[in-house]
Amino acid sequence: MSGRLIALAFGIFVLIAAALVSTQVSPVTAGKLLFEGSLGSPERISQTLVLVTPLLIAGIAVFVALQAGLFNIGAEGQLLLGAMCGVVVAQKVPGFFGWVLGAIVGMAAGAAWAYPAVWIKVWRGGHEVISTIMLNNIALLLCGALVRGPLKGTQSESATTDPLPAGSMVPNLLQSGDLRINLALVVGLVLLFGVARFLLRSVGGFELRATGANPTAAAFAGVETKRVMVRAMLVSGALAGLAGAFQALAYEGRFYPDFSPGYGFDALGVALLAGSSPYGLLPAALVFGILSSGSALLTIEGVPKGIVGILLGLLIAFFAAVRYREVRSGG
Amino acid sequence: MAGEAIWLVNTAVMAAPLVLAAMGGLLSERSGVMNIALEGKMLMAACTLALIGASTGNAVLALFSAIGVATLMSLGHYLLTQTYKIDHVVSGMALNALALGGAKFLSDKFGDPTKSVAFLPIEVYIGSALILPVILGLWLAKTRAGLRLLAVGNSPEKCRQIGLNPLVVRFGALIGTGLCCGLSGAMIVTNAGQFGEYVTAGKGFIALAALILGGWRPIPTLVAAIGFGLIQAVQLQLQGVKIGAAEIPSEVWNGLPYLATLVALIVLGSKSRAPAGMGQH
Repeated sequence: MSGRLIALAFGIFVLIAAALVSTQVSPVTAGKLLFEGSLGSPERISQTLVLVTPLLIAGIAVFVALQAGLFNIGAEGQLLLGAMCGVVVAQKVPGFFGWVLGAIVGMAAGAAWAYPAVWIKVWRGGHEVISTIMLNNIALLLCGALVRGPLKGTQSESATTDPLPAGSMVPNLLQSGDLRINLALVVGLVLLFGVARFLLRSVGGFELRATGANPTAAAFAGVETKRVMVRAMLVSGALAGLAGAFQALAYEGRFYPDFSPGYGFDALGVALLAGSSPYGLLPAALVFGILSSGSALLTIEGVPKGIVGILLGLLIAFFAAVRYREVRSGG
Repeated sequence: MAGEAIWLVNTAVMAAPLVLAAMGGLLSERSGVMNIALEGKMLMAACTLALIGASTGNAVLALFSAIGVATLMSLGHYLLTQTYKIDHVVSGMALNALALGGAKFLSDKFGDPTKSVAFLPIEVYIGSALILPVILGLWLAKTRAGLRLLAVGNSPEKCRQIGLNPLVVRFGALIGTGLCCGLSGAMIVTNAGQFGEYVTAGKGFIALAALILGGWRPIPTLVAAIGFGLIQAVQLQLQGVKIGAAEIPSEVWNGLPYLATLVALIVLGSKSRAPAGMGQH
């Protein structure tokens, strides 16, 4: 590590220590509480996995776009629409086909919501970050308006859809005592290996990475960069939509306006933390999941919940700084 | 109060924070630093103003602390993007996460809802929101420092070749960004009366939208921000009013700025209008 990185790490350490000192909880205790709160019992492990699932799938979504040189900040909006559309479909179609169709429609919705951003990028030269920020806000308002209006459940006072019948939810693969592993998580893992193989071992994946690394060079080498970007963004949107649909259909069982505590934004952190290898997405999603679910115990001990946001923000900044050095030194 | 006066006041109150934040974004982006962390800076400023204003009872001190914290955040953006050369989007995301967490943390830990907060009158902010774009427009077009800022935003490499250090210019620009965002956040919490973690309500992103719609130029950006403020004022007035049989959901009004920006991006594109050197080192 160079001097600058050590300085950055030191600065981050001081900030976190200062935050903890102000709450009179020692860093060791805080770490122990985080660990206990997220992995301390089978029930807590199950709770953590509920958070890891969307972080992993949406993380893959952001990662694919990032490899093509696109910042899909819109994952949050795509995820929300995927979840809402998935729930609507699963309510109409009973049983097994309910969640399968719901997931497919969720993917379509996510991809559709990603398309304007990449269209603007490719044909109008507008930065995809700006357009996806706008699309996120519109998605949030649209979902809110629909759930408060036509999609509002008949049995509920607050703005939420009716709960899904148990039969049309994504089933648990394993249930022993309090430990539950849902099919959605396994699908996420399969997707991870599938996407990793595609990126690292196929012509399409190579073209995608070449476009992301240097679009001009890729175009000279005969890659149709515009088409590659559009495809990468559509796949990214579909995956983000799937993350939302699965979250609704596997765990929540309904849709409401505050459905996502920011999975789509955390997914960007997951994708950045993963570094240059798709396999890094799994540990990154676990880190984010453990931090968010472990914070419940910290809150009880008097550490305000905001500490997690502080930790995540600093983590993203630090790993982005490390990663840049890797890129520059060619490693 | 007469009907027109209410409209005018509401529009001014809604538009002023947008104008201030958009001018902050303008300084940063015209110097070539992409800035999606306006929201984070405003949130931290709002939080600081409420905390210091409540604990000391000194409104001026509170305002200066708020501006100070926003400027520190802005210099954090400088440090990450210019010294550590992190991608500007990533740095912005990290700062927004940090601000959201930090504001929640600070207000939970040190906030005391029973204490009343000392505020400056809101006219101070409205006045500065009206003057700032004019000064900024003249400064950018007429002064050496302003032209240098534009030059760095267009091509940092060429500036380096003529002996102008882009880092110095960007450092100054980001201090200005912090100042503007600090004022904006302070005005938002002054208007709200107390701090809550949702107090900024995405205004930093609407300001960004105004900046893009205004083509990164001060006066058109001012007009766009006033337009968005007017939309929010309309929404305030029409709350609960039925048109025909149905009530227009507030979401429709809230979504208009975002939709307008999206349409502007589709119709106009931004390749020719965005600062050419944005994101370059």
